[in-house]
Amino acid sequence: MASYATSAGIGVGLVTLLALYVGMTYCLTGFGFRFDVGWYLEAVSPYMWASTGIAFAISLSVVGAAWGIFTTGSSILGGGVKAPRIKTKNLISIIFCEAVAIYGIIMAIVLGNIIADFDYNNASREVASANYYAGYSMFAAGLTVGFSNLFCGVCVGIVGSGAALADAQNASLFVKILIVEIFGSAIGLFGIIVAIIQVTKIKMGKTAMP
Amino acid sequence: MSNLGSREQTVWAPFFGSMGAAIGISLSALGAAYGTAKSSTGICTAAVLRPDLMMKSVIPVVMAGILAIYGAVVSILIIQNLSYELTAFQGFVQFGAGIAVGFAGLAAGFAIGIAGDSGVRGSAQQPRLYVGMILIMIFSEVLGLYGLIVGLLLATKATA
Repeated sequence: MASYATSAGIGVGLVTLLALYVGMTYCLTGFGFRFDVGWYLEAVSPYMWASTGIAFAISLSVVGAAWGIFTTGSSILGGGVKAPRIKTKNLISIIFCEAVAIYGIIMAIVLGNIIADFDYNNASREVASANYYAGYSMFAAGLTVGFSNLFCGVCVGIVGSGAALADAQNASLFVKILIVEIFGSAIGLFGIIVAIIQVTKIKMGKTAMP
Repeated sequence: MSNLGSREQTVWAPFFGSMGAAIGISLSALGAAYGTAKSSTGICTAAVLRPDLMMKSVIPVVMAGILAIYGAVVSILIIQNLSYELTAFQGFVQFGAGIAVGFAGLAAGFAIGIAGDSGVRGSAQQPRLYVGMILIMIFSEVLGLYGLIVGLLLATKATA
């Protein structure tokens, strides 16, 4: 009778064995130089890095917002059966989760405005490395804002769910638990602040040298 | 005149620096979010029992929020040293700084969340437990501080 933990263990073991086999083959046949991280980072176009960054920025933020909204919403609607007065006040929790998606779309628009064309084949080394730096920064900024908003959205959702149920029992508790929610939404704010700082220094295009 | 390997300027070095910054803030944010969410379930439960103790019970949430600040500080310090002319050494050191503060913040956030959840539920029923909860919160926060220290040490090595 294999439980989930056993199947997960077998899966991890198989993946490790496969990775070891591939790694040892590279090492022992003298072709280790072919596992080239630097080549991969240079071979992928900066536009791919930038575009995946933008994609992560908006998609992960929206996943976080959605997760928070369904967590809080189901608690509001469930608790509202016996205490319908909670439904208007607790919409604030839903709005806190929505703000996380707004951060994501702001960042995606900011990143999208940076993309510009450069002559891949005739560019000087400085222009090319400035464009690559911009591509890497946009990828990292997208991951930063995406993951921070994902975690923030889940957190605010859980806190909002607790707030709704506590409000249903005692109406004076909502404002106090709102303080916890404000601390939670500060997490998404840190993410977008760091991402904005990451992209203030970069430029893409033919005149990219900062 | 040979370049000493990692002291040469490479095109791909900013990737590691940027990923260090991203990992630093993202994993600290996960720790902070976990700490906030987990302890908030305890706070909401305790608040129904003792509404007057609510303000004192917000301590685990505050300490979890500080972890996100640690991650943001190290990430911003990494970003100040990024440029399109980066040596491989600088890139790798920034990557290490980001991982250091990120995983430490993640671990500290887990500790603060789980211990804070039990702590606020217990302090609502037994007021003498409050000081014990504060001590446990402080020890958990210090784990994130260690990550911040190592992250700062590494990130300041990456200056041009």
